[in-house]
Amino acid sequence: MNWLEITVIVVAAAFVAGVAVYSLVRRLRGKGGCGCDCAHCAGCSSCKPKTDSGTESTEKK
Amino acid sequence: MKKFALAGNPNCGKTTLFNLLTGSTAYVGNWPGVTVDKREGTYKRGEEPVSVVDLPGIYSLSPYTSEEVVSRNFILDEKPDCVINVVDATNLERNLYLTTQLMEIDVPLIIALNMMDAVEKAGDSIDAKELEQKIGVPVVEISALKGGGIKELMDRAIKISKAARKGETVLKNSPIAHLIRDVSIALTAQKVDAPLFHAVKLTEMDEIEAQMHPELVAMVDAFKATFSNDTFGTDFEAIVADARYQYITQNYSSVVTKTKQDAAELTQSDKADRVLTHRIWGIPIFLVILFSIFHLTFSEDFLYLSAISGGRLPSLFASAAEGGLGWEENAGTLLLGCFYDGAVFSPGVILTNVLNLILDSVSGLVAGWLNAAPAWVSGFLVDGILGGLFAVLGFLPQILTLFLFFSILEDSGYMARVAFILDRIFRKFGLSGRAFMPMIMGFGCSIPAMINTRTLADEQERTATVRVIPFFSCGAKVPILTAIAGGIVQAFGIGNADLITYGMYVIGIVTAIIAVLCMRSTTMRGETPPFIMELPAYHRPLFKSLMIHLWDKTKHFIQKAFTVILASTILIWFLSHFSWDWRFLPDENMNESILAGIGMLIQPIFTPLGFGSQLGRTAGWVFAVSAITGLVAKENVIATFGTLAACLVSGFLIPEESDGILEASAIIAQTGITIPALIAFIAFNMTTIPCFAACAAAKAELPAGKFKWTLLFWLVTSYIVSTVIYLVGSWWWTAFIFAGIAACAAAAIVFWNKKHPLKDNHAKKESTAQTAGASEEEEK
Repeated sequence: MNWLEITVIVVAAAFVAGVAVYSLVRRLRGKGGCGCDCAHCAGCSSCKPKTDSGTESTEKK
Repeated sequence: MKKFALAGNPNCGKTTLFNLLTGSTAYVGNWPGVTVDKREGTYKRGEEPVSVVDLPGIYSLSPYTSEEVVSRNFILDEKPDCVINVVDATNLERNLYLTTQLMEIDVPLIIALNMMDAVEKAGDSIDAKELEQKIGVPVVEISALKGGGIKELMDRAIKISKAARKGETVLKNSPIAHLIRDVSIALTAQKVDAPLFHAVKLTEMDEIEAQMHPELVAMVDAFKATFSNDTFGTDFEAIVADARYQYITQNYSSVVTKTKQDAAELTQSDKADRVLTHRIWGIPIFLVILFSIFHLTFSEDFLYLSAISGGRLPSLFASAAEGGLGWEENAGTLLLGCFYDGAVFSPGVILTNVLNLILDSVSGLVAGWLNAAPAWVSGFLVDGILGGLFAVLGFLPQILTLFLFFSILEDSGYMARVAFILDRIFRKFGLSGRAFMPMIMGFGCSIPAMINTRTLADEQERTATVRVIPFFSCGAKVPILTAIAGGIVQAFGIGNADLITYGMYVIGIVTAIIAVLCMRSTTMRGETPPFIMELPAYHRPLFKSLMIHLWDKTKHFIQKAFTVILASTILIWFLSHFSWDWRFLPDENMNESILAGIGMLIQPIFTPLGFGSQLGRTAGWVFAVSAITGLVAKENVIATFGTLAACLVSGFLIPEESDGILEASAIIAQTGITIPALIAFIAFNMTTIPCFAACAAAKAELPAGKFKWTLLFWLVTSYIVSTVIYLVGSWWWTAFIFAGIAACAAAAIVFWNKKHPLKDNHAKKESTAQTAGASEEEEK
């Protein structure tokens, strides 16, 4: 294997792992279930278990 | 930081005001029930930063649905520093009902008289100063849409939030005023917050209040025994409501000046409604509008000009002998070919063709750069990553076109009318028209649609709606529909892609209706809840709003494509190029790969559906595998096709022309799959378990214990629907067998329901009332 092949494999594996971890962390933090920004969704701040406490900030950053 | 709450009736402009105050771009829809949970932002343009909370719309503080409970609980429990009561000035009388209730809470209150621009446009006027004097609460005229009066509103709100406010009731002169006073004194002794508000609610026998203060219910009941009202008897809820409206009428009539209008004269909205909500023509008009949307998005023969001309419109690149113009392919002619090639393309198809032209160029460039790279690296990057990714990205224009049209329908106010006209039909199947609103949202994404079912008060109706929402194909399923429909047209040379796509959407809707009918006739029997909805006035959707939504949709689709879908594509490529003992496999040995092994293992399951064992082991497993990868994200179905097609189909060169339709055509040709099986494949993906994110949303919204049955419901429904489509499409006479089975099942259900009728709720209530009355007499 040359450096190009190794780089491709490492980057691909890191990318897949990164996406999986990012999705998991988002889920654990109770954020949007579809992976989209809530601000422009009619179900904004609602992609988490029904609760009266806690709000989702939609402020532009 | 101070916290202000925006409270008011549905559709009064709270979210529009919220966006203006906080700089957010939260979704504003022109139908009641858009906001189903609170959202928070910060207002920074005043003397101090203020946290602003946008609440779901409520008609009163005796909430009927769960999202109304959110508003009530926030105001009572979280004690905002000020409540900004947003009032629709064009419907002042109705909106002030909630105001009279908010006045009873010990919280600084200010009224934002919104939509003043609409009042002025109608030639009416409202004396805000006089209203403020009469009600005793600050009133500020604003127009959230035009941005007028906002600074004054927030300056006054910040000012009044610095001092405490004691609640006042408008029921001072009502027949039950001293009861309210006595209960309020008792609550004050118990150190209950906002005692006046809770006292009024207890008097109305509000369920939540009765549960919280059962000891005071007896006080109210004792008073009832000595009280009688000529009009309402001992119905205190009606007495309170009547007193509130009397107060409003006394204070409202002098502050509002309306222009003389002929009572018979209809508003613009009324005139439109006479046609669009017509008893007979309303639904056909809706179906025509829906079909027009699909035609503008998917049709490769715009206005059917080519069909009307008998196919005589010449193709650009076909030779003269074949009836074409014989043009040479270059950048200019290829660009022109995006708009016309033997037929005029619809706007959605034109945009898709242009994008695919760009993506093809990128693929070609990358393939050129990797000439010197090892073969597997080139295959991975070009066939795997670009093949899969671009197969999905290519559908972005059509997804956006569809989304744009649905947004126009929603924002104009038409969708609310559709809910109204469909109520008559839905009611026969056990759903109210109110359930239609979340279903329509399902055409965009299932997740907010499922969340929006919180606006349905009846739990069984909510559960049934959540279950059928995935049948309304979301944006992520558009690539499946378009690719397979286009593949059918290309591979078999029959049909119009838009007709096939429209037909599949209709199949989804019909499946939803039948599924609801079955559920409401068997495990979820019950009365259909009443449907009352305020119809918003029609208005022209704001171009800026539409463009903001489109831009967001684009951003999020691209984000999803370059994260989840790209990761899935990489995984698919690796699993399809490594054997179980981790040997690297060239394209021609892909059938020995891990992915092929998994696919071949599950392939027989799909045999009754037409895309199982009968397709052979060479490439038939691709359909089975793509149905599974679709669980992560539905776009993955076509991404799987894209990634695998180039490798599987010999002689199929992806880099030159790469779009999902060509990949689908290649797989169709390689496997020999039939049209009924392809339609069954689409139907399976439309009705089966949705993506993981949608499953999580369903689990959160369904009552405890219902989710596993919902998963089973989706699996069984998709299997049955696809099997029926394949078998009837392949052997027409099987339709009689299925009709017979359906008739027997329907007869069995009807017979069972007759033997086990639902308990009559009215009779039950009367019986309970009689028993209570008899008990009281015995005690006396």
